[in-house]
Amino acid sequence: MFLTSDILQVVIFGIFSIVSIISAIFILNSKNVFYSAVALAFLGISIAVLIADLAPASYSIYSAFHILLYVGATVVFLSVSMVIFKDLYAKQEQVTPSGIAVAVSAVVLFLSVILGLSSSSSPEISPVSLQQLADDLLSGFWFPAVVLVIALLTTLIEAITLARRD
Amino acid sequence: MILIGYMSLSLSIVLVAVGLYGIIVSKNVIRVLLSSEIILNASLLFLFSVSLIVGLLYKPIIFSIFAIGMALTEVVVAFAAIILYYRQKGSLEVD
Repeated sequence: MFLTSDILQVVIFGIFSIVSIISAIFILNSKNVFYSAVALAFLGISIAVLIADLAPASYSIYSAFHILLYVGATVVFLSVSMVIFKDLYAKQEQVTPSGIAVAVSAVVLFLSVILGLSSSSSPEISPVSLQQLADDLLSGFWFPAVVLVIALLTTLIEAITLARRD
Repeated sequence: MILIGYMSLSLSIVLVAVGLYGIIVSKNVIRVLLSSEIILNASLLFLFSVSLIVGLLYKPIIFSIFAIGMALTEVVVAFAAIILYYRQKGSLEVD
């Protein structure tokens, strides 16, 4: 018995959706916040895989960006920076109605999105190349790209300032 | 393919709910930041799922690259604020 690509897609989706939900719950439940940051890395990787699994020809380029930029930079920065703090242990407040309120709002959001998307048609998949993406970034979206580069440069300066401590 | 789009849409809404719950119940500043990161990840997955369902396959890639770049900046700025808070208060707990 062979696995077709559709079944494989659903199996990969199932595995990584479980990983992402477990990671998200671990982020909230772990007593040590450093381990929460490590779980955030697992969440980021599983989200990247899930996005690539949606349309591998189109979204795999973005998944590489997600792993490099988000997991590689953001989460590593968070984890390393937490060494500064002495009391990393966190306590949680028991707020009973908040869980119910969040669950109800999630159901309402889900229903409204499903109703909004009910009339949508099936898309046609077209592969996205890195050349096409770079051309579009540098021609159509050059101004946001400049703003992003400036923001990342100021972030770099800020990180150096933090590392120097005084 | 549409089925997996709807499945990931449901997953992203579950993750948004988990992150929202974390923001509400956490007293630790870093955990609030991490919960907002869960919501960021979920919203990116949501964006890609909706784009797949409605047929806009290419546009969310560029938007999301800018989004995660800005998320990186936001995390560093928020962490600087947390460090200042810790130096002033001596604790990471919020009232």
